Amino acid sequence: MLRNLIATLPLAIALAVPAVAQDSFPDRSLRIVHGFGPGGNADTVSRIMAEQMSQGLGEPVVVESRPGAGGTVASGYVAGEDPDGYTMQLLVGGHAVAAALYNSLPFEPVDDYTFLSTIGQFPFFLAARAGEYESIDALIEAALADPGSIVIGHSGVGSTQHLTGELLGLETGAEFIHVPYQGGAAASTALMGGEVDLIIDTGTVIRGQADAGVYDVLAVTSAERWPDSPDVPTLNETVAEGFDVISWTALGAPAGLPENVEAALSAEIQRVLAMEDVQAQIAALGASPRGSTGAELQALIERQIAVWTEVIDTAQIERR
Amino acid sequence: MQTQDQARTSIVHRATSGAVLLFIGLGMLAIGWDYPIGRLTQMGPGFIPRAIAVMICVIAVAIIIVDIADAGMDKAGGIQWRGLIFVSAAMLIFAVLVDLAGLVPAMFLAVVVSMLADKAASPATILLYAVLATGAGWLLFLVTLELPIPAFWR
Amino acid sequence: MIDQFLMGLSVVMQPEILIYAFAGVFIGQLIGVLPGIGAITAISLLLPVTFYLDATTSMIMLAGIYYGSQYGGSIASILLNLPGTPSSVVTCLEGYPIARDGRAGMALFVAAFSSFVGGMIGVAILVLAAIPMTSIALRFGAPEYAMLVVLGLLAASLVGTGSQLRSFAMVLVGIALGLVGADATTGYYRFVAMPELADGISLVSLAMGLFGVSEIIRNASNRTRTMTNISVTMRDIIPTRTEARSLLGPILRGSTIGSFFGALPGTGAAIASFMAYATEKRVSRTPEKFGTGHLPGLSAPESANNAASQTGFIPTLTLGIPGDAVMALIIGALILNGIIPGPRLMVDQPLLFWGVIASFFVGNVILLLINIPLIRLWVLLLRIPYQKLYPVIIVMICVGVYSHRTSVTDVVLTLAFGIIGYLMKSYRFEPAPVLLGFVLGPLLEDNFRRTMLIYRGDFAIFIERPISAVLFACTVALIGFSIFSTIKTYRRNVQTRGAHER
Repeated sequence: MLRNLIATLPLAIALAVPAVAQDSFPDRSLRIVHGFGPGGNADTVSRIMAEQMSQGLGEPVVVESRPGAGGTVASGYVAGEDPDGYTMQLLVGGHAVAAALYNSLPFEPVDDYTFLSTIGQFPFFLAARAGEYESIDALIEAALADPGSIVIGHSGVGSTQHLTGELLGLETGAEFIHVPYQGGAAASTALMGGEVDLIIDTGTVIRGQADAGVYDVLAVTSAERWPDSPDVPTLNETVAEGFDVISWTALGAPAGLPENVEAALSAEIQRVLAMEDVQAQIAALGASPRGSTGAELQALIERQIAVWTEVIDTAQIERR
Repeated sequence: MQTQDQARTSIVHRATSGAVLLFIGLGMLAIGWDYPIGRLTQMGPGFIPRAIAVMICVIAVAIIIVDIADAGMDKAGGIQWRGLIFVSAAMLIFAVLVDLAGLVPAMFLAVVVSMLADKAASPATILLYAVLATGAGWLLFLVTLELPIPAFWR
Repeated sequence: MIDQFLMGLSVVMQPEILIYAFAGVFIGQLIGVLPGIGAITAISLLLPVTFYLDATTSMIMLAGIYYGSQYGGSIASILLNLPGTPSSVVTCLEGYPIARDGRAGMALFVAAFSSFVGGMIGVAILVLAAIPMTSIALRFGAPEYAMLVVLGLLAASLVGTGSQLRSFAMVLVGIALGLVGADATTGYYRFVAMPELADGISLVSLAMGLFGVSEIIRNASNRTRTMTNISVTMRDIIPTRTEARSLLGPILRGSTIGSFFGALPGTGAAIASFMAYATEKRVSRTPEKFGTGHLPGLSAPESANNAASQTGFIPTLTLGIPGDAVMALIIGALILNGIIPGPRLMVDQPLLFWGVIASFFVGNVILLLINIPLIRLWVLLLRIPYQKLYPVIIVMICVGVYSHRTSVTDVVLTLAFGIIGYLMKSYRFEPAPVLLGFVLGPLLEDNFRRTMLIYRGDFAIFIERPISAVLFACTVALIGFSIFSTIKTYRRNVQTRGAHER
């Protein structure tokens, strides 16, 4: 008990002299909060960043998982925290989706945040069982010929994957049946088992089967061909011109971060992202490591919110 | 006369379990009333909640009937309020403190409050155990397992 | 396959790897004992450690945590009626009465032994039949899952010891609790009073509350709680010959059931343990003994949950598809190490594949060797007066539950369920069926609605697909058998009553 008392003494002093504390940022442990369960993509990326940033900043960086409501519980929590630089949030593409999908949120998706940097960006891939469809064009043709005959499995209602599927239907005019599953793995299992005809998900979910020749990867959702998979045509160049869906991971913090703190954190993030090991790990998770400025990230999010709002309106998906 | 009184209170007692269940079923029905039902082959989100609520109500009535008919039923055990109150207080204090003040204060006060449920515990014993338990908890959760919970307030 | 297994064994039997295997199962055991903290918390905390290890070692350690936790879960269940993991809930039903009778050591021994055999059978199936199991699992689509759950609910409607009516009512309440949250098929919010409930009530909150906290409330102000006649000699720990013989069937049945549910994605150790218990009660000649400390009711679920935790690796190893969230984490660790899990894993990385499987074998042996001597230690723990023990347990539950989703709401919910569980018992409602309904209800609804969505409302699909048809037939047979035996019992009672009256 005495030990604990002594350990908190510096903290007590630090709290009593805030001006001094700011100059020596950081002087205690920081945390990266995310809104998804342990072991997911968000959690893993958080831990990769946390591990390296603690070394660069000289203070431990812990990862806190506060799952719920598609990440909005965590977002609401972080938006209400002090903008002192000690609380960051790992944001994902779902942040923009949530902004469009939820009727009321306990936070402002853009105004309540100081955006720091993107970490990685990744597209979605379209996969079907090997040999069933020659190309994405063949699949869309089949869907147009017989509306409602092609079944797309997705990883959950309101997920980016689901909305991408809806967008595909809207852009091509084809009518699909969208079937929700609990996560990409379950949707992939359904594809393997013959229950659905197509899945749209990240490379991580699809790669194992694609490499083994169980799946044919028919298309990718980014506007340009994805560097890691140069043989996969884009939807943009084949069946849906202008199609450009990219999801991302990024770091943000509550709005109102002091300039020097924001600069320190951004610099550290860029430093970590430049490390070869980190780039390899992020690439292994299926993303393309790519840093950005806070302004670029904000622009990206605002753009995506507009796109998803339109998809949800047109496809008449129920808002929450 | 006495047996009649006994029988009357007993009926109310006996019907309690079923009544509570009925209350739950009706509550479910009320809350879920607006959820879209759909059809059997195209179930909306409200179909199963309503079906289950109805089934609960039916079974609740059945339980009430069976219980009232069973004249020899034992009376329900009495509620030990002391234990209930102090355990609840301990957990609530933990819940309030852990995000605000950190793990160590939360653990310490939770142990103290929960030990108060024991009428015969002396303040010295309580304090000693609280310190020991908190120390052990700190060792286990924060040192060994390194849970991402702050030891003290941020 | 055997020679490949031996090759894997040679990979594992190196000092460095053995140390990590030991660390994994030891941490897993510890996690299992602690109520509320689960494998997923431990594994996600250890994930950064795997950055510095190679893929094989990482996976061996993380896997050890996963199946190791199934060993530890039963300890608190037996000694304190407090499940360490949701899959140990059923162990409370028989293990705790045995401990109360003074034979805690024997219960712990039977649990450890059953766990060991279950785990070994799971490993054997993994070695010999991984691919066939996978192709069977892939043939389970939404209709099959729906039918399986119906069969399971019917079979397990006997889990409670009280009146059937009250048990069924509790199953319904459990299903109702499982409905809370966003509907999986449409995303519609049901009974979501606050945003924290949007993802539903957490199973850990429910299990810890209904079983753990309620038990503590019941005993907190009761001073006569210490057990005095505890036997710790070896002779008292080992069951008698008749008792041991009665275990053969339950262990074999439990292991089979566990192996099946483990390999099926989306179901796991918890469901397996319930099904194994229900099966034992159904096939037993003395079903009335269940709930009073009946050994088959203890050993079958223990074998089942360990077998399930081994075969749970089948979809991960053969397809690269995680069966649950913990597996997803383990797969994540593999990916970070540059290994792409998928159908090619067995071919591309035979050392990893067979090394990991061999490590399961070694890990189970290590766990058995750890657990047996520890029995005396655990039993001595019982000598501590309950008054001093339960405050610590309360804190452990609070921390465990909180650490899952860093959610204060979860802690409050656990308390709420604790109070409810306490009141329930006073009114003769059993808590076990609630958990069953909670786990199986949503599974049934999701799969039924998915079936209707995909097959356009065609009910006949349940009979058209072969596996589903078989399950349907079993369901009908079970209903028929139940009606038949109820009529028979009724007739017999009428006859006996008639004889008495004469």
